[in-house]
Amino acid sequence: MRPIQLVLILVAAAFVLFYFNRLRSRLLDRLLFFVLAVLAVAMVLRPDWATSVAVFLGVGRGADLLVYLGLSGLAFLWLGLYARQREMDVRLTELARRLAKLGAEKPKKKK
Amino acid sequence: MARKPIPQAAIFVAVAAYNEGGVIRSVLRPLVAQGYSVVVVDDGSTDNTWRQLKGSGAYRLRHPFNLGQGAALQTAVSYALEQDAQYVVHFDADGQHSPKDLPGLLAPLLAGRADVVLGSRFLRKEDRQAVPFSRRLILKGAVLVNWLLTGLWLTDAHNGARALSRRAAQRIVLRENGFAHATEILQQIRMLGLRFAEAPTRIRYTEYSLKKGQRIWHAFDVFVDLLIKRVLR
Repeated sequence: MRPIQLVLILVAAAFVLFYFNRLRSRLLDRLLFFVLAVLAVAMVLRPDWATSVAVFLGVGRGADLLVYLGLSGLAFLWLGLYARQREMDVRLTELARRLAKLGAEKPKKKK
Repeated sequence: MARKPIPQAAIFVAVAAYNEGGVIRSVLRPLVAQGYSVVVVDDGSTDNTWRQLKGSGAYRLRHPFNLGQGAALQTAVSYALEQDAQYVVHFDADGQHSPKDLPGLLAPLLAGRADVVLGSRFLRKEDRQAVPFSRRLILKGAVLVNWLLTGLWLTDAHNGARALSRRAAQRIVLRENGFAHATEILQQIRMLGLRFAEAPTRIRYTEYSLKKGQRIWHAFDVFVDLLIKRVLR
């Protein structure tokens, strides 16, 4: 085993541990995440598997395939976060608006 | 001029103020003096705007933090409607508009000819001539962008002076917190099928308002914002 493989496997393991410990606990999410981690470890241990998938898809090198998939994944992640951010903005605005109305001060009556 | 059938106090002027402490009182004074109801939303200013509003004769509301001009305007309009406003006027806080233009803005509404009246600095020769050349170019570019995004061809863009009937104010709900609301209003006029008109307004270009007016360069941000929104929804 090369040192980099050990490092990557440790990173994957740390991710799984962190996720299971701290973040959401829906069974489906956990399962999905676990499968992804196992796939990652498999790719690390047997880079030739990724290469054969890449060749099948017409990419050539396994590493290139992972970069393409990774970037696509990141793009989706970014979109998702952006959408959520906007939703949070809407809620925050609604909250601030209600607060402002609660604290509204009317002008003193003239005369 | 014919007597207005509704009391002046039922006309609410909605003002979004962000760090306008230096001018806000002088902007509000003539509006209050003329008997309009004035709602000012201090959009989380970090200067003395909030204190300046005390005793100004306006309803004063304060956002706990800065949300943007569109959000503050929406808060002001929504509050005005809760106070039984029959007409709502958007009015910038930096003193670039003139209270003298309000009757002209309101006239098409009072006559029942329009639901929304948009102020334009390009309808009267003397107003047009007051616009600095570089500003004119940018604004005409914005007119084009607005047309592309909303299908409405107007003579002016990003003019903060507008008048809305109660019904229009209820139906137009701003979700763009930033400066994109100016275009969003046009989109909603179009989608809701509201009748609109333009009315002449003079813009006073003071050193102060021009400095603040750098915001016109946000036009690009605004464009990207609206575009992304279109793609996402």
